[in-house]
Amino acid sequence: MALYEGIALIQEKQAVVLDLGTDYTKFGFTGEAAPRCIIRSEYWCPSTRKYKRVYDYTTPEELYDNLVHMLHLLYFRHVLVNPKERKVVIVESLLTPTLFRETLAKVLFIHYEVSGVMWVDSGRASALTLGAPVVLVVSLGARDAEITAVVHGCPVIQAIQSQPLGARAIHDELARILDEDNGTELHLSEDVLEDIKVRACFVPSREKAVEWLERGVASEVREVRGAGGAREGGGARVPVSRRARALAAEPLFARDNELASLPDIVLQCILQCPIDARRALAENVLVVGGGAALPGLKARLAHELRHLVTLPPYRERLGQLQFKFHSAPAHDNSVAWLGGALCGAACGAGGGAGAAGGGAWAGEAARGLARDAYARAPRLRDWPSLLHNTPPHHPHWALQ
Amino acid sequence: MAYLTQPDYVKYVCSCGQLKPITNLYFCRHCLQIRCAFCICHEVDSHYCANCLENMPSSEARLKKNRCSSCFDCPSCFHTLSTRATLAQPRQSTEQGSGDTKVENKQPKKMYYLSCFNCRWTSRDVGIPDQPVASGGWPERANPYATRVNQLLDYYKAIAQQEKQEKLDRERKKFAIRGKYITLTDKTGLTGAMARNIAGLPSSESSSSAIASFTPSQASEEVEELPEEFYTKELNLNQITSMPQRLASPEWQPTHVSRLHPIAKLLSVKRSQRCRVCDHNLTKPEYNPGSIKFKIELLAFYHVPEVKIISYEPIKPGCTSALLLKLTNPTGHEMQIRLMQPEDIPEPEERVDEPKSIEKSLEKSLNLEKDTSWYETVKRKPILLTECRITIPDVTLTLAQRDDAAEYDDDATHDANDIILWRKSNKLALRLQVVTSGEAQAGAAAGAVLALQYRYRNAVPPAAQPPRDHTLHAALRLHLGPVCG
Ligand SMILES: [Zn+2]
Ligand SMILES: [Zn+2]
Ligand SMILES: [Zn+2]
Ligand SMILES: [Zn+2]
Repeated sequence: MALYEGIALIQEKQAVVLDLGTDYTKFGFTGEAAPRCIIRSEYWCPSTRKYKRVYDYTTPEELYDNLVHMLHLLYFRHVLVNPKERKVVIVESLLTPTLFRETLAKVLFIHYEVSGVMWVDSGRASALTLGAPVVLVVSLGARDAEITAVVHGCPVIQAIQSQPLGARAIHDELARILDEDNGTELHLSEDVLEDIKVRACFVPSREKAVEWLERGVASEVREVRGAGGAREGGGARVPVSRRARALAAEPLFARDNELASLPDIVLQCILQCPIDARRALAENVLVVGGGAALPGLKARLAHELRHLVTLPPYRERLGQLQFKFHSAPAHDNSVAWLGGALCGAACGAGGGAGAAGGGAWAGEAARGLARDAYARAPRLRDWPSLLHNTPPHHPHWALQ
Repeated sequence: MAYLTQPDYVKYVCSCGQLKPITNLYFCRHCLQIRCAFCICHEVDSHYCANCLENMPSSEARLKKNRCSSCFDCPSCFHTLSTRATLAQPRQSTEQGSGDTKVENKQPKKMYYLSCFNCRWTSRDVGIPDQPVASGGWPERANPYATRVNQLLDYYKAIAQQEKQEKLDRERKKFAIRGKYITLTDKTGLTGAMARNIAGLPSSESSSSAIASFTPSQASEEVEELPEEFYTKELNLNQITSMPQRLASPEWQPTHVSRLHPIAKLLSVKRSQRCRVCDHNLTKPEYNPGSIKFKIELLAFYHVPEVKIISYEPIKPGCTSALLLKLTNPTGHEMQIRLMQPEDIPEPEERVDEPKSIEKSLEKSLNLEKDTSWYETVKRKPILLTECRITIPDVTLTLAQRDDAAEYDDDATHDANDIILWRKSNKLALRLQVVTSGEAQAGAAAGAVLALQYRYRNAVPPAAQPPRDHTLHAALRLHLGPVCG
């Protein structure tokens, strides 16, 4: 089965590492401590005279075009290297839609003719930045919050949790509060909301939040006249009430019958993991993603977890758990990227033999794919596919 | 100028199916095909700084992380910073209240700082000391996480090395360890090796020192609590950086304006462009960053007849409107043009008249796989269905070659012809009829399609052959405003 041959990342040239997020794209070189650029995942479309977001697509062709333009921007405006000369490490979520993955592979292999691509999932990549054996990765993205348990270098697939509790949830709540407190529909753009969130909002402690939700935000929290969005040139001066400042992130922690709040899904992820890993997971929490940078958010998550674990149904099923938190050697928004950069650099070190030995290195980089292999069979390895998750000793293979 | 400021009323169909204005298209003289930015191959040609127009060799650019060493951008508004000089005079120390200038030094010393003319930010705002030299010398900052990242790198490289060794050993022994969590989804065996290492499973004897000395990150019960100031202090938004300001320096991402540092200017690149089918250059810029000229410049604008709309009668459903077009021959040779419907363009046949050398055909067969897969992926079917149909006159138009001197000649000759309105050196104006179908919706964008068949003389043919004429085709789509009710 020579479908997937080990590829050697970087012989002499550093590979590039791409983390194409919903809102921001991180792009840089392997072996470096930070991405070279963090830019919005959008490009200027001259025919419509508007910025076009990469993730706004309705057809595969539109996605293909978006990715071609986005990568052109990244390669020729920011990182300034020839695509052909570099291999690519892609940091992606395990829940990335197949269409997106395959289109990205097509763009890289066929349009940009890169010689090799390697996929690293963001949970495992984030865990790599710690060097710890067991890590519970809580990733707060633009759209979703994703919880991945990484146990000895392997994501526990059945325990992955994902809920739409990313930056968008905070923006929506912020917009709702601002509309309510200003008595009009402000129709603030995503840019303005992000700017207000980044500069004015914070997450209070659990104790304060409980009190404020009931009796209103304490008057010592100051109101501000919010800044406008970066692109609007500070035009809109929206008054930001103290409620908007302090309680915009509450939807992340609001519990309902669905048990779908952020602390709930963290505990559920632990619950669905093998019993002997649970204690270690709770003691190795890593909160990453751009959303995690909101002041106070990590502390609040810690409060909520410690509180929630004493309530049913978790009390009976999880028992006493101690929560401990890691901090990664990178800014929150580029932790997964750094993991990809480390992974690419390390695999490159042993690369020479990998290429020569062929199968010898298959385990190492089976998620990597060389251009010629792609040309022969343009199919990516994916965990939901039976082709790729059937064990080698399964009788199915004998029938072939 | 109209091409820069106005919407694109006339779009040509590229050989890959994209619709683009003629100014965005290339013409491959070797394939005799129109190409566009989407279907050609871009390459980095040279690095330069767009501010000081200095070239930087690629190896140096790589070393300096693609940043100019003497130009800086404002970290606050991203405008280019200017270097300003001041005289640090001993006497001034009492007046300004700063005691850092030495009294013994009688000679006023020139000192420099960086300042933004746009937003008034200066390097003094954030406490960067003035520099004695005008360019360079600004303090460089190291990534705060660099040490730890290097430890991690050494560790993983050592593990990868060890893993590789183990794999080689194991392949001989056919011995596999499959732990509980090591499933097929674990594809970066790097982590598998790490797991084994941590779990104390047998690993190769040669554990390097990088592995032995590595300490994994330690989790702590303490999480940084929200500082008290958020609850009580007045919030000055001007003191907190915006997202673009943070992301402009990904390594530091300062949250407070007092931590903003000048950003070394990102270099720009000159690109050369190559036809993917024949690998010939379509454009190649001159090396000098100050020059906007090209060594090779195969633009469609210089090779393909240009069509412009002069005017048209409003498009009404079920009616016939007049359409005035201007045709221009940009080449240095006389050109015959016939108008036709795009569907009448003959299918391109394999050009068999060219003598093929053995190497050529070998090369071709090698490239065949790449070409077909590439074209299947990239080729788009252009949407050429329109409600308006141009009535094509059955005439062959002859356009004189471009003559720059004739530009100053302003009498146009008026042909007594109901199709040709006037002629002037290499240009002519045409009067055509557009028939709009009765089903056109009022308010919708009206479009018409047209194809040109033209005789093109390849003045610089490949392989030293005499210049020869080719019959080529170009399809284009005209935007005729909205359909009137
Ligand atoms: Zn094209
Ligand atoms: Zn410069
Ligand atoms: Zn400025
Ligand atoms: Zn060509």
